[in-house]
Amino acid sequence: MADTLTEIEQFLYREARLLDERRFEDWMGLFADDGYYWVPGVADAEDPYECVSIFFDDKPLMKTRIQRLRHPRIHSQEPPSRTTHFVSNVEIDEDFGEANEMLAYSAQMMLEFRLDQQTSFGGRCRHLLRRTDGGFEIAWKRVDLVNCDGIFKTLTIPF
Amino acid sequence: MTALDTDSLRALIRPDRVHRDYYLNPDIFKLEMERIFGRSWLCLGHDSQVPEPFDFMTTSLAGQPVIVTRDRDGEVHVMFNRCTHRGAQVCTAPKGNTRRFECPYHGWVFHADGRLAGTPYPGRYAEGFIEEGNFDLARPRVEIYRGFIFANLSQDAPDLAEFMGPMLGCIDHMVDRAPDGEVEAPAGMFRYRWDGNWKIQIENLNDLYHPMFTHASTTAEDGTQFRRQGAEEDDAGKVKLLEEGASLNAQWEDQLIEGFPWGHSSMQSFPVDKGNSGPVYERYRAAMVERHGDRAEEAMRVKYHNSIFFPQWSLQYLTQHIRIMNPISVDCTENIIIPLKLKGAPEEMWRAQVRSNNNSHAPSGMVMADDMDAWTRCQNGLKAQGNDWVIFARSLGEEKLDNAGGFTTTGTSEAHSRQQHRAWLHYMCDAA
Repeated sequence: MADTLTEIEQFLYREARLLDERRFEDWMGLFADDGYYWVPGVADAEDPYECVSIFFDDKPLMKTRIQRLRHPRIHSQEPPSRTTHFVSNVEIDEDFGEANEMLAYSAQMMLEFRLDQQTSFGGRCRHLLRRTDGGFEIAWKRVDLVNCDGIFKTLTIPF
Repeated sequence: MTALDTDSLRALIRPDRVHRDYYLNPDIFKLEMERIFGRSWLCLGHDSQVPEPFDFMTTSLAGQPVIVTRDRDGEVHVMFNRCTHRGAQVCTAPKGNTRRFECPYHGWVFHADGRLAGTPYPGRYAEGFIEEGNFDLARPRVEIYRGFIFANLSQDAPDLAEFMGPMLGCIDHMVDRAPDGEVEAPAGMFRYRWDGNWKIQIENLNDLYHPMFTHASTTAEDGTQFRRQGAEEDDAGKVKLLEEGASLNAQWEDQLIEGFPWGHSSMQSFPVDKGNSGPVYERYRAAMVERHGDRAEEAMRVKYHNSIFFPQWSLQYLTQHIRIMNPISVDCTENIIIPLKLKGAPEEMWRAQVRSNNNSHAPSGMVMADDMDAWTRCQNGLKAQGNDWVIFARSLGEEKLDNAGGFTTTGTSEAHSRQQHRAWLHYMCDAA
């Protein structure tokens, strides 16, 4: 149990670091081919097809976003955001999902700095993780921001 | 600039340019809130946001707090969120369901339609001080058109039909695409703010000169966002904006733009590579034909991309949403994006639209991020001295005028912005 927890914590830390290092393609590579990333735009969301979402990306859409982040003329990322993602309060539910799956709960924060403004985001995060030969892949990741239905400015970097 | 008399306001607007103070001067902003936002019909949302009796939502009307409610009998009301006693907001929840609003300060209570329901310990008010009707929540003028809720702070402004003119047809065009003849807003909303003057945004919405540059990272050959429009189930919601390899510019220049009195305008739908088709679309067509018969095909043909209802809101037809643009200050503007569902259309179409709105018009939306960055740069850049004028000279004088105060033009003309400047002058000077 403790080993699995440590293993998952390390996985989540690595995911956070990939985003902070702007290794977006590697970050996308953590997701299963049928995986998705969901940040609902309403509280207590049940179905991503029934409510607005800040992100609801399958892999093709993630790929589009990342291509855009790499585009030489993405003026809304000039200069690019600097971020630090924090992961804490990790718990796992090994009985959740299929036999090779488990649910990881965490609390996450992201500090973002761009154009002399620092912004903080935070919320509760759930990952459904699937065991693979080398470790884990993300079947889905859901981030429920505390301000999910609040007033935002432009968002670019995944939480 | 010193005193804001009409001469100094007129001096800000020339046929092909406007002075930077138009966007920067906080005193002008205050006057705009009074003379433009205080006298035009502003959109508050859609009545399906309060679907059931006693549902409510709170929002703002030209910076003033309001509550939108539905009463026991199903009638929608808009009232100021200000207790008639000491002025506290009687409700601060964004939405909910309640039979009565009780002010937390001294317990005055109001019905869902705004009538005063009671005051605690009324005995120490003079006899006759509180009479029926004299302490009800105050209300702006309200009109509802096909579910869209409008309010006006002025008692003297023309009624909604006169204000809208042909633009009512732009609302019809959205709603008539629903087999049930109604739209609804069940998905919630996005809200975001950007740091600039509201007029920079409203000049942008029908600006076809900007997409190929502002949105280069999303429209260029190696940025494919526009080419993937939801509808993963089938092709119903998928459109490509361009033929492969076609010139963006050439197709954009043929786009029809119509302008109307009061600063309104509408832009023709974008050219797409193919008509809608597929099994889901055929089910939609069947539902439309069943309800609308011969009129179905015409109603299904999407004529517009954006309709701008100057000064405060727009309808977008590609991803189907209401966009409300509320000025917060001279250099901050709030957007509220409310996706609209066509009642009676296949669920798959709605699912595709939900995703399409996410991808383009969320705060993380790939289109919006480009735009908001560009507009914010304008607001900051205009602070620079040495060049006081902002140029709107494209196709000056080429628009075809009609006899009713409107015009038509095409493509990257800036006629619709020039017409907004004239409407601004009318509100600020003539109608004063």
